[in-house]
Amino acid sequence: MEITVSKFDLLKELTATQGVVERKTTIPILSHFLFEAADDKLSITATDLDLGLRTSCPAKVKKEGACTIPARKLYDYVKLLPDGDISIKALENHWVNIRSGRSNTKMVGMARSNFPALPVFPTAGVIKIPAAVLRTMIAKTIFAISSEESRYTLNGALMVLKPESITMVATDGHRLAHIEKAHEAFPDVSDMRTLVPKKAMAELNTLLNSTEADVVEFAKDESTLFFRIGGRVLTSRQLTGQFPNFEAVLPRDNNKFVTVRCEDISSAIQRVAQFADERSGAIKLKLDKGGITVSSSSAETGESEDQIEATYAADPVVIGFNSQYLLDFLKAATGGEVRFEFKDAQSAGQLRPEGNGDAEFKYRYIVMPMRI
Amino acid sequence: MGRIHVLSENVANKIAAGEVVERPASVVKELLENSLDAGARRIRINVEGGGRKLIQIIDDGCGMSRDDALLAFERHATSKIRTAEDLLNVGTLGFRGEALPSIASVSRLRLETHATEEASGSVVEIAGGKIVRVEEAGLPFGTSIAVRDLFFNIPARRKFLKAESTELSHIASVVTNYALAHPEMHFELHSAVNAIIVAPPVASHSERIYQIVGKETLDALLPIAAQIALDRTGLPQPPPWSRKYEDEEEEDTGPTDPGELRLHGFVSKPEVQKLNRNSIFVFVNGRLVRDRLVQHAITEAYRNIIPPTVFPVVLLFLEMPTAEVDVNVHPSKTEVRFRQQSFLHNFVRDSIRAALMKARPIPQFVAEMRANPTASPSLTPGAKMKSDERAETTVVDELGVTQANQEFALHAQSIPAFTQSLGFQDGFSVEANAAIPVARFGPQTFGSHVAEDNCSTPIPEELAPDDTPVLATLKPLGQVRDSFILAVNHEGLWIIDQHVAHERVLFERVLRQRQTEKVEAQRLLMPLVIELTPSQQAAYIEISDELVRNGFEVEPFGTRTIAIKTAPAALESTQIEHLVHELLEEFDREEQLLNMEMIGVRIAASIACHAAIKVNTPLESSKMEWLLKELAKTQSPMSCPHGRPVVLRYSLKDIQKAFKRI
Ligand SMILES: Nc1ncnc2c1ncn2[C@@H]1O[C@H](COP(=O)(O)OP(=O)(O)OP(=O)(O)O)[C@@H](O)[C@H]1O
Ligand SMILES: [Mg+2]
Repeated sequence: MEITVSKFDLLKELTATQGVVERKTTIPILSHFLFEAADDKLSITATDLDLGLRTSCPAKVKKEGACTIPARKLYDYVKLLPDGDISIKALENHWVNIRSGRSNTKMVGMARSNFPALPVFPTAGVIKIPAAVLRTMIAKTIFAISSEESRYTLNGALMVLKPESITMVATDGHRLAHIEKAHEAFPDVSDMRTLVPKKAMAELNTLLNSTEADVVEFAKDESTLFFRIGGRVLTSRQLTGQFPNFEAVLPRDNNKFVTVRCEDISSAIQRVAQFADERSGAIKLKLDKGGITVSSSSAETGESEDQIEATYAADPVVIGFNSQYLLDFLKAATGGEVRFEFKDAQSAGQLRPEGNGDAEFKYRYIVMPMRI
Repeated sequence: MGRIHVLSENVANKIAAGEVVERPASVVKELLENSLDAGARRIRINVEGGGRKLIQIIDDGCGMSRDDALLAFERHATSKIRTAEDLLNVGTLGFRGEALPSIASVSRLRLETHATEEASGSVVEIAGGKIVRVEEAGLPFGTSIAVRDLFFNIPARRKFLKAESTELSHIASVVTNYALAHPEMHFELHSAVNAIIVAPPVASHSERIYQIVGKETLDALLPIAAQIALDRTGLPQPPPWSRKYEDEEEEDTGPTDPGELRLHGFVSKPEVQKLNRNSIFVFVNGRLVRDRLVQHAITEAYRNIIPPTVFPVVLLFLEMPTAEVDVNVHPSKTEVRFRQQSFLHNFVRDSIRAALMKARPIPQFVAEMRANPTASPSLTPGAKMKSDERAETTVVDELGVTQANQEFALHAQSIPAFTQSLGFQDGFSVEANAAIPVARFGPQTFGSHVAEDNCSTPIPEELAPDDTPVLATLKPLGQVRDSFILAVNHEGLWIIDQHVAHERVLFERVLRQRQTEKVEAQRLLMPLVIELTPSQQAAYIEISDELVRNGFEVEPFGTRTIAIKTAPAALESTQIEHLVHELLEEFDREEQLLNMEMIGVRIAASIACHAAIKVNTPLESSKMEWLLKELAKTQSPMSCPHGRPVVLRYSLKDIQKAFKRI
């Protein structure tokens, strides 16, 4: 293999793949990139076995071929090179020669045959999802995914595709984030449910934030999920397991409502939470005709209270919550007003943004109370 | 005039009867107790052939008249009790009148005795129970009894005796125990070749411990002392409206002083961990007993401070009015029955616990390496002491790495091996150099973790009795393998196990919250449905109330199925199922009866364990600081709820020594 590539193009793709390269691996080949050169193109592949990312950049290919290169070292080195062309040439015994201007470096890789083969993007059953939609949905649910896996919660989000809508749901057993977008067109699906692992969600999030592509092509086979974003393809192992029956927990008879500015309530909670139990962050919300009172107390630090005026007509109620759970949502809701919908101190509360720009999205957040 | 009389058949029949002489050590025990009962100040014991060939005991007690000297060998002849009522108030170690006749019937015995009030002494010789010689002789005051050829007439018994060294070590522990109980007395134990114990009178128990088992052990012990009036304790209180009446009555009859319960002695710091109960010595009114109630109280006191599979070193003296304790329970007189069992149990438990809490001892690096039962083979019973074993240590479980470090680097300072010592089979060792007045014993006899020469071991720095906890001064430097926090302060280098440290913090918080009924609980989005086995179901019923008090809300959900709706706030929802199963398993296995409080403690420990920061978790330095600060605030920062150590300290002195700077 022998190619020439611009530093700018190469670095952009190397940066995009960093998230997938395994750092603390016990399998040495996983800390390498696979470089493949053909048809005026350099393809770069990285995988940690759960996720795989394949991307490419334009290159002058003098000699087609492939090699593997230590990922971290190469990335750090390329970053330090001056702008301009870089030539990469595979030598004998897995050595690779990298030249740029007066810089000349040799690195040793591993046999190409050691590199795991990535599954191939299916040719049929490809669904097109608007990139902006997917980006929003991920940002508004990813924080509710639990980091540990068990029988009852999965460390992934559920993506439901229907002919005219897309829904994403995530839960950790204490709270649930649910977002739905209607008026979409997925003509070839009837009701397609997919579990997207947390890691893949995070990686998608990064890829979506650094792309100009409008559309994400999504496909899956029995074991793998595929996402094509522009020139990059993310593959992910599928999660197996049953996502909890979330429809059952969506509250239907919450009858106590109050609407406040997102910013107001979020800063009140942050202040009050300073005086809550360090771990559980327990705070109380009191709703009465004056509005919302946020309060906390802990034996160690003291107590605190904050009031927000709001119109509230129903019976007064006091409910305990983990402040972090509320803040997570308020952060994701990004401004505007939020509506709190409660029933009583034992039942699930529902939070949703009210009348902001994202009106096409139906976003709701269910959070279970604490007993304090 | 004779002191000794033969008990009436009626009284004799009330005495727990059975085998008295099992092995040489039981002979020594009986004879020693007789000497103590006779008011001796000085006792010397000579043994040969592990006691089979000869056991001789010489005391300076009251001695016996010629008539008594003969009567003493009759069955049920004693000077210590008279009536059946006396059995309820035994103040002496002996009371059955069984020991001398039993010993005399299985050996060739020679008694030389001279009572203080007599003009001359007497010699009595008995072989296999038959008197072969009685004569007058000029003798020093006191009594000497020589027992030769034990079991000469019972070959079957002889065969069951263990190796000479084993029998000798048993004898040595008997003498050690009584020597520890009586620091004011002079004790000597000699074998044919060695002075095993030479302990002249000292002023205190701690000096006696130093004399017999050495500084190392003494340093690992905490003194304890407590007392409590026995005033009506344990007996139900009369209701308030009738109390007045009762008070009057008491005045009428004249109140009898119920006396008090006193406890003193020594308990080991948590870093001392023994593999069996052999280092727990309990004396009740001067009598060495093996009592399950007290053992249990001790175990309870150490619960959550040392792991459940290891035992502390305890030397406990309990004193109470003789009416409070029945000694006539077992022929060997090593068991007793207390009148107010649960009161005594809780008193012992709470006194020890309080001493442990107050001391907040810190495991030393070196001590920890050895105290760890898996790490130090020399602690296992029967293991011989070898100088090269000390450095072996097996580390790291949760990290998934197991390494046997042959020479752990922190051991750089060398500990001179016990080259001169004789290694006895039972882990009992005797220094060959008989010129040293006090021999030290190996681990199984008492105390000290490892045979280690005193002079080269750095003396652990005393903790300043200052009230700011040392841990509060720690500055975290970083983590080892994302699992152990390294920190420094003026005392040296510390390693803190982040998981167990956090576990300790949470554990105390959970207990505190539960006590004030302020448990924070998080409702679950969906009830967690768990199926139980029949025995888990039974365990669940036992602990369900306590689960509720700890923040769980559980509902039955059909047969043998429960639905958890709320769980303690500290837990991730993903951890709940595992935790509940684990708890039910644990309580299922437990045969002994548990009280509510203990169930609560177990549940708290389990919650803390699941909720705590795991190993292999990178921590920011602010988080480390927070953890150390919280740890410093806990009552027992040095061990986790399961008893594992939380911190290790490598003192400045040890560091300097290791670098050969001092
Ligand atoms: N060393 C001694 N000095 C003085 N008197 C002794 C000594 N040893 C035994 N005696 C006397 O001999 C009696 C019998 O001793 P023996 O040990 O057989 O019975 P005991 O001590 O009364 O009861 P037990 O069988 O429970 O030990 C004792 O009651 C005591 O009076
Ligand atoms: Mg006796």
